[in-house]
Amino acid sequence: MSNFFKLIYNELFKIFVRKSTWFMFIALLIVLLGMGFLEKGFGDDYTNENWRTELEQENKNLQKDLEEDDIEDSPFYDFAMSTIEENNYRLENDIMPLSTGGWSFMYLTASFLGLVSLFTIVIAAGIVANEFSQGTIKLLLIRPIHRSVILLSKYIAVLIFGFITAVSLLLLSLGVGGILFGFEEHIPAVVIENTEGLTHLSVLKETIYGYSFYSVNLIMITTLAFMISAVFRNNALSIGVALFLLFTGNTVVQFFSDKEWAKYILFANTDLRPYFGGKPLFEGMTLSFSVITLLVYYAIFVFLAWGIFTKRDVA
Amino acid sequence: MKTPALELINVTKRIGNKEIIKGLQFKIDKGEVFGFIGPNGAGKTTTIRMIVGLMSLTEGDIRIHGKSIKTNYKEAVREIGAIVENPELYPYMTGWQNLKHFARMIPGITDERIKEIISLVKMEKTIHEKVKRYSLGMRQRLGIAQALLHNPSILILDEPTNGLDPAGIREIREYIRALAKEENVAIIISSHLLSEIEQMCDRIGIIKNGELITTQSVHDTEDEEQSKTEQIFLFDIKPAKKAQEVLESEFDAEVDHKDGILTVKTTRENVPEMIKTLVKHDMAIYQVAASKSTLEDKFFDLIGENIIE
Repeated sequence: MSNFFKLIYNELFKIFVRKSTWFMFIALLIVLLGMGFLEKGFGDDYTNENWRTELEQENKNLQKDLEEDDIEDSPFYDFAMSTIEENNYRLENDIMPLSTGGWSFMYLTASFLGLVSLFTIVIAAGIVANEFSQGTIKLLLIRPIHRSVILLSKYIAVLIFGFITAVSLLLLSLGVGGILFGFEEHIPAVVIENTEGLTHLSVLKETIYGYSFYSVNLIMITTLAFMISAVFRNNALSIGVALFLLFTGNTVVQFFSDKEWAKYILFANTDLRPYFGGKPLFEGMTLSFSVITLLVYYAIFVFLAWGIFTKRDVA
Repeated sequence: MKTPALELINVTKRIGNKEIIKGLQFKIDKGEVFGFIGPNGAGKTTTIRMIVGLMSLTEGDIRIHGKSIKTNYKEAVREIGAIVENPELYPYMTGWQNLKHFARMIPGITDERIKEIISLVKMEKTIHEKVKRYSLGMRQRLGIAQALLHNPSILILDEPTNGLDPAGIREIREYIRALAKEENVAIIISSHLLSEIEQMCDRIGIIKNGELITTQSVHDTEDEEQSKTEQIFLFDIKPAKKAQEVLESEFDAEVDHKDGILTVKTTRENVPEMIKTLVKHDMAIYQVAASKSTLEDKFFDLIGENIIE
């Protein structure tokens, strides 16, 4: 068993010994700092004393805008209505809105999880393909270790990298937020809508949920990139396809949303959040439907990656 | 009967309809240095790839100390150290990091062993530099170091002196001979340089179009039988014209005269008599030598021109 850990260590070593990997983490930090300064300049600034009057004022302004505009179909109408609703909920339950502060910043920057996907895809795409393009695959595969074990060690290294990157985003966002704004006295709460109406949740819990649900997406897209890397041994192809799907996945689902088979598209199922107190994407979709669909996709990816990598000649 | 270090049994490789390797069959003993030569595209590298497990066999089997590469892969490959084609190592890691990386893949390789190998290939000074800054010769040494880490009993070197300077080639050659003699390692060297093979190997196998044309001992000339077969000797002698007449009349030998050198086709056992006779005729003999080009001639006789079919 310890030998297997050494293989994973080898793969992680090869990832982290390269400078390009560290640029990813530097990029993450730069993006967070940029976001932090924007937030410092333009963010809402509620205090414990003034937030109630501010929210009431905001509601009044929105109400006035609605009366003037008088267009019920415009997106602004929905936005204004839900904002008013949320503000009322906060006033009734005495929940202060998010302000500029470390905890809120952590919650806001969870939207950068896409960067974590991007970086993990780059690593997954290269981890097999680069061995081929460098020619090092030959020296790697003539050791007394089965190819399937070597591939598994690479796959696990990719997942560990994704995990490390996601945790880095979380910790860096706390760090940047904490340094720029300091932390709020109480961990603030977000107001969310579920089937029973509005409810609230601390941003800490909400962020953890967000990261956890996102990990499904991360694992699926990373496994896809890894599979292409192992099957086609081509770094660029793997990055290209995976990134394209990462950015267009939801659009594709929307585009085919009137088709009966749209619910079988991978990206219609990667967000499991709606099954926990929300509305599913399509009528009739259930948690078990999505989980089974995901497992089928996963099995196909794994089958292709292992089947082809272990059988094909290395030329 | 002792099991050979490496045995190829009817090894065949087909890709599509094309038969690239056609029923290769040979054995290599412990402590033997085997040269594998043939023109480009003959199947040397394909054969080596099958021995180390990078390519599958269509038919036949490869046995390493009796263990089949098909059914007992891990134990069979454990015995092999190899460089396949160019020694391609991780360019962004140092030599030391590369060796550590490969050492982690086989249990029981200590840092002391790695250091021992490094001093063996004389890389102490550059081992902590990144491989991308290495010259081809240094990469070759690191490649050999990597192949030797786990004390393999079979060493496979594809063009091992590629990129080395003459001093480096000599070092490697001596080292290979020592490994075979002292540690009883079976060594396979592929090359298209005949002179190199001649100097390093005990036996050569000539491959052409995926077929093993012949295997033969390099030091044939010392055999009893060999001294009775005809080969070419060069006589540097004065006066050459008269010497030619003497040799033709008294020994019935085929003699050519060119640029003051006589080319004599005769058997090895005749040579001392010829010299005695020539001395009796009061001629000045500067040098008598067996023509070194024999192996090369044989090679080209066997494979024809350097044509890839």
